Amino acid sequence: MTTTLAGGRAARRQTMRRIRPRRSPATVLLLAVWAGAAGVLYLWWHNTPSVADDNSKILNAGRITGLLAGYLMALVVLQMARVPALERRVGSDRVARWHAMSGRYTVCLVLAHVFLTMWGYALQAGRSLGDIVQQTIDSVNQLPDMGKAAIGTGLLFFIGLISVGGIRKLIPYDTWYHVHLLTYAAVFLTFWHQISTGNDFAVEPTAKTFWYVLYGAVTALVLWYRILSPIRLNFRHRMRVEAVIEETPGIVSVLISGRKLHRMGAQAGQFFRWRFLAPGMRFSSHPYSLSAAPRPDMLRITVKAIGDHSARLRELTPGTKVWAEGPYGALTAQRRSRGKVLLVAGGVGITPMRALFETLPGASGDITLLYRANTTQDLALWDELAAIANDRGARLMYAVNSPDGERPDISAERLRQKLPDIDNHDVFMCGPPGFAQSVYEALRGAGVPARRIHHESFEM
Amino acid sequence: MRKSHPIRRVVLATAATVSGVVLLLSLKPASDPGAAAAGVVPQQTVGAQESPQGGAAATGTGTVDGNPAQTEYGIVQVRLTVSNGKITKAEAVQAPKGGTSDQKTALAIPKLNQEAVAKGTADIDSVSGASYTSGGYKQSLQSALDQAGG
Repeated sequence: MTTTLAGGRAARRQTMRRIRPRRSPATVLLLAVWAGAAGVLYLWWHNTPSVADDNSKILNAGRITGLLAGYLMALVVLQMARVPALERRVGSDRVARWHAMSGRYTVCLVLAHVFLTMWGYALQAGRSLGDIVQQTIDSVNQLPDMGKAAIGTGLLFFIGLISVGGIRKLIPYDTWYHVHLLTYAAVFLTFWHQISTGNDFAVEPTAKTFWYVLYGAVTALVLWYRILSPIRLNFRHRMRVEAVIEETPGIVSVLISGRKLHRMGAQAGQFFRWRFLAPGMRFSSHPYSLSAAPRPDMLRITVKAIGDHSARLRELTPGTKVWAEGPYGALTAQRRSRGKVLLVAGGVGITPMRALFETLPGASGDITLLYRANTTQDLALWDELAAIANDRGARLMYAVNSPDGERPDISAERLRQKLPDIDNHDVFMCGPPGFAQSVYEALRGAGVPARRIHHESFEM
Repeated sequence: MRKSHPIRRVVLATAATVSGVVLLLSLKPASDPGAAAAGVVPQQTVGAQESPQGGAAATGTGTVDGNPAQTEYGIVQVRLTVSNGKITKAEAVQAPKGGTSDQKTALAIPKLNQEAVAKGTADIDSVSGASYTSGGYKQSLQSALDQAGG
């Protein structure tokens, strides 16, 4: 089944326009976040005329950490709301890393806040630090909304605990993921005590309004982009498994048909989060990149059977319903700033590169693809790649281990030798983390500036 | 895609947060700069919560918040407005809410506010039927007076 040439030429003709790289909004967003944090701290500053003694210092430290934690919690949830501006322009992988880092930091702030506030209350009631546990019990019983907050906080700490690297590895991914979703419940439960016991909210009604607006907006975005929008997308496009093709032993392509798929606005290099409604696969959602230019009636993904989910793809029967969310990902032609492009693919990282190879606008000789695999048998989709290279005058190179298992030389010198003007190329990379890191270093060594190296890595 | 240094990140974030909080706390004065240093004069109109300003030039109006005091039913926190050494206004910026507390608070707090302005000290009468609230109020009032230097 030809999924390539005709679609490729047409797609390239359509997109022959001036290269105008789109900047990632990451810097602007970070500035906005810091400005918000400054505003939140100002709230404390404005409402606190003085800090008298040690007791007061501890209570106020508890207040500051509490305010910051409340603010950051909203942002942590926002990052995972699958907002297109974040997923497609900053990049899903980068946002996920930010989420992990800010999530860990926020949990630590919550811990500090609880400890400091309970200590402060204990001192105020004439008790000592040793009575902190009793004080916590008393406060939870006496103060409004604290019962809910205690449950929510406990849940948050539990979720944080099982996400620690060593413990997370012991749990199957889907179990971990579903427990992690309980964070929504934890945030909901802890929100109310912020409003009712937060000193700064009692005193300043505008602050209360702002807090409601912040959390309300995040809730609305989560509801829209994680629930309602995917429902609309799937009812509109009705995707089904069309066929399953074994490319090489261990690598499988799945063709997915649907209606008006071009209306989803998917671009080469992007991925969807796929859920196959087949027994045993219904409850897991996995991201796989498109491995060919998207067509109005067909999408293709190519997957390596490494985990138990990917292995089951082989057994999918045509006609199985597919629930997809997307398109996500920022590894697209929009990141390009030069006429010449080098695509580097390692192993199953060929998938988004194969799609880009087909559709990236470029004259003969502008586009080069370097494909790294263990053996020539592992070079999946090779025939298609060769046909595309032939059709559009692009260069196709491969690097495999030598018969005695020696790794190929992908160093700065070798890259410069193969592509003398490599420092004037845009480079798109996709592959396993170790491979990506060493290629990145080689590229930098060969003179490619960091801003022209585009990659996607889901390693946390 | 530079090499990530998780331990370095953790240490930096912790150090920055701790020093930021300590800095913020240390930048605040130990007592409210707006409050006058002289003692409060207990010659106020009985029963009124606010009193007319004295003839002499005021050294400036300041507000003082007492420490929030915890009671069985909620937090009580008193805010005093002091001018020229006198308490001109007392209000509760936090008071027990919810359940039967709303009613008790609505009844007790205005009376306590009046007492505070009238007496000028924390030695005010409790409101019967609201002994916990009164107790918390007195506690917070005392700490507000301490901060005001009275």
